[in-house]
Amino acid sequence: MAEAKTESDTGSHPGQLDPAVLRDLWIVIPAFNEQGKIGEVVAELRERYANVVVVDDGSSDATGARALRAGAVVLRHSLNRGQGAALQTGLRYGLLRGARYLVTFDADGQHPVETLPRLLLPVLKGEAEIALGSRFLPGAGGIPRSRRLLLGGAVVFTRLFSGVRLTDAHNGLRAFSRRAAAGIDIQLDRMAHASELIDQIWKSGLAFTEVPVEVRYTEYSRAKGQRASAAIRIVFEYLVGRVLR
Amino acid sequence: MNAFQILGLVVIAMLIATSLINLIRGRGRISISFLWLSLWCLGAVALVWPDSTLLVARSLGIKRGADLVFYSNVFATLGGFFFIYLRQRRVERQLTLLVREMAIAQAALPEESEASGRAAP
Repeated sequence: MAEAKTESDTGSHPGQLDPAVLRDLWIVIPAFNEQGKIGEVVAELRERYANVVVVDDGSSDATGARALRAGAVVLRHSLNRGQGAALQTGLRYGLLRGARYLVTFDADGQHPVETLPRLLLPVLKGEAEIALGSRFLPGAGGIPRSRRLLLGGAVVFTRLFSGVRLTDAHNGLRAFSRRAAAGIDIQLDRMAHASELIDQIWKSGLAFTEVPVEVRYTEYSRAKGQRASAAIRIVFEYLVGRVLR
Repeated sequence: MNAFQILGLVVIAMLIATSLINLIRGRGRISISFLWLSLWCLGAVALVWPDSTLLVARSLGIKRGADLVFYSNVFATLGGFFFIYLRQRRVERQLTLLVREMAIAQAALPEESEASGRAAP
């Protein structure tokens, strides 16, 4: 298993990753109509990371073009298939390109790029095959009160139906080893994929951990985020998906 | 036999013929063809001998044959919706796989990657 290769361990440039890790790391960003932010997000990532893939999920705006201009590989879904489908496309592409580590990252700019080395650390050290970002662990933060209730409900739901004790069930920031990503097969194309992913991680028996991450909620990310009313549809999709699996 | 029964029997005869042709030509699943044939035959019996539905209804604790037909239709409709839903899910899944393969095959690489000669999968 890979050893931790953060340069912070070697005393140089805290938060930077070893070039060997950078070469083998792919960052997957599912994006749908994110032209307002995607260029900035990709550019910021590309300052530090070589391999960024944006899955343009059938956007009707210039999301794909802006991501490409900012330096990402762009995979375009010719039809909108949902965030789960886009994530699976990106993970599959990363694996095909020989990724040893894969990170999923939101397109709306709510994840600080500086968080990535800390998120990856357990995977690089071999302590876990999957690291899930958590907004509720000590050291994390940035959640408005209105979101806290909804996300808390998702955590309880996950405990009830998946039996997995997590502090944050629906955070888009996740890190996978190659082995873990290869074992993931997201079948629920839309937003219920987050719960399905946790089910699959749990059933795979692979070691996973949570890492505190900060989330920057902005007017833009709030406008793009899921509304509370969508929770019912997500629960329905997930339950039907479980029954018909 | 009244006009409705005659018309109904003609329609059922055509449906039975269609199911038989499908069965003989090996179109679709055999079990599904037999299911349809059974349903058409039951429909024909109910049409020709309406009192037969009353006998079945009474044996099931339902008062009227018409109620039995109504309940059967409700269950059949719900089952039909569920079947269509399953089929739609399957088609959606296949569509996603197709869209995914196309997206990966047509990956757009940023200029610097193309210049450095990185090969897409």
